[in-house]
Amino acid sequence: MVDAATTTPTAGRGLPRISRVSAFWTLYALSLRQHLHGKRWLVMALMFLLPVGLAVVVRLTAPDVPPEALEFALVMMFVPQALLPIVALLYASGIIQDEQEEQTITYLLLRPIPKWAIYTLKLLSAMTTTAALVVVFTALTYVAIYVGAETPIGEVAGRCLKAASIHALAVITYCSVFGLISLLTNRVLIVGILYTAIVEGLLANLPFSIRLITVIYYARLIAYRTMTFRVPLSDGGSKDVAAEAWQLPAVSDAKLAEHPQLGTCIAVLLIASLACTVIAGWLCTQREFHVKTPEKE
Amino acid sequence: MTPVVAFHDVSKWYGNVIGINKLTLAVRAGVTGLLGPNGAGKSTLLQLATGQLKPSQGAVRVLGQPVWNNSTLNRRIGLCPEQDAFYEWMTGWDFVHTCARLSGLARGEARAAAERTIETVGMTKHKDRAIRGYSKGMRQRIKLAQALVHEPDVLLLDEPLTGTDPVARRDLMDVIQRLGSEGKSVLVSSHVLHEVQSLTPSIVLLSRGRLVAEGNVRQIRELIDEHPHQIVLHADDYRRLAARLLAFDDVEGVRVLGGESGVMVETRAPDAFYGRLPALYLDEGLAIKAVYSDDDNLEAVFKYLVRK
Repeated sequence: MVDAATTTPTAGRGLPRISRVSAFWTLYALSLRQHLHGKRWLVMALMFLLPVGLAVVVRLTAPDVPPEALEFALVMMFVPQALLPIVALLYASGIIQDEQEEQTITYLLLRPIPKWAIYTLKLLSAMTTTAALVVVFTALTYVAIYVGAETPIGEVAGRCLKAASIHALAVITYCSVFGLISLLTNRVLIVGILYTAIVEGLLANLPFSIRLITVIYYARLIAYRTMTFRVPLSDGGSKDVAAEAWQLPAVSDAKLAEHPQLGTCIAVLLIASLACTVIAGWLCTQREFHVKTPEKE
Repeated sequence: MTPVVAFHDVSKWYGNVIGINKLTLAVRAGVTGLLGPNGAGKSTLLQLATGQLKPSQGAVRVLGQPVWNNSTLNRRIGLCPEQDAFYEWMTGWDFVHTCARLSGLARGEARAAAERTIETVGMTKHKDRAIRGYSKGMRQRIKLAQALVHEPDVLLLDEPLTGTDPVARRDLMDVIQRLGSEGKSVLVSSHVLHEVQSLTPSIVLLSRGRLVAEGNVRQIRELIDEHPHQIVLHADDYRRLAARLLAFDDVEGVRVLGGESGVMVETRAPDAFYGRLPALYLDEGLAIKAVYSDDDNLEAVFKYLVRK
């Protein structure tokens, strides 16, 4: 009988060199490839074409509508409120569950990659995919809104860049939140939709401090502190549509001194993402990912 | 001597269902067969040995190290899982290469390892086809390749021959035997005795999550042979055959199967019984058209051993 300690790994060859960086990079790339091979991104792309299509329709049928108003309605209201949470939910909910359902998670668990790293790398790939979708389609929406308008292209490009960055930051935070929820419940889609409707939909629109727990509140504040949302009126004046729609006391407190500053808002979203990721990673190290059990059979 | 895989008083529950029940087992180097009927706990045992499952009780060690949450150890372990699941959109080569890269092999090494391993399992010709188009045998081969690609010391193969055609079965058995002769420690699970018997004399029997027996296949067979075998014989003159068989000392009972023109014999010495059959034709002209044993399967043997 051969002692385990003296068992030769291979006949005539030494152990291959093992690099964790290589393993991590491969897992990240594999997850990105999985996103591209699925039909999910096509569905998401179609959903993101909705504001683009709406912009085109409004521009063609109601040329009097100021592009600034259209931008606010579509880019700052519709996309963050409806599309960002859904795209994040659909990608982040499947970080581990998709691999479990397809029974391919075994091939990942058998590698020298800790479970927290499997989760984190797959989350990073979900963040990359969603952020890329958001940036591309935000840019397309801006093109649809401002093409042929009198607004200088440099100004539009600047606003587009800011909006895309804010959307990317928000969708990354949503991915972290929904990724964590996916480890806490098997009904992540239902819980995610409820979270989106109640927390990000209802609570975020209340002018109380409860909205401090919502992602969209910080995204709106970042937008408000970095962009202007004054829409020209027919009488020659202008109106701050964001302050009214987002329940911000811009009249009584022009600098919104009682609300978090720009740096704080960005930090809160990044720290929240990090905290959710760390907790989820820790949960993964404690969990078994069953592929086949007597119960399931 | 440190066992390659060691289970010490291990139990695993899934809620109220027991997967493994107080199992203490030391698997030594070489090829070992893990036998048990469906639901015996073979897959649970292998998942415990690869750290995919955490024991509810007891300790599992591989190569002297605990396996739960010890991902570093995975570079020395390879598993061919039972489930027929793949990244279907990948080609066979892509799948094995990706698994090599996931194991931490550098790009060049991974490429060479993938080529070599695919060659080992006889899939070079089909490596550039998408896995979704593979036959069951090809899928089993490529699944074995991913388990081998990082050159593990310990290989755990969960029902690797299931669903394969005779050619693939023979090839895979050759690969497994070759791995054993190259010094790898291989634990192969199966629910078919003769499959494992032709791979290794060293077997472990599991039933309902418990260790029923372990050791040399010959010892196990002796245990099995204590269990009365039921052998069915078909002959035109089956009534005369029944009368003749009753005269054998080792025959415990004979039942006439009138509708099938046959008899069912119960014997505790099947080998001796089979040995006497040619003489029945040669000396007494009793032509036997068919002989088969319908209970020479593990399920019956396990029931017998568990009752013992």
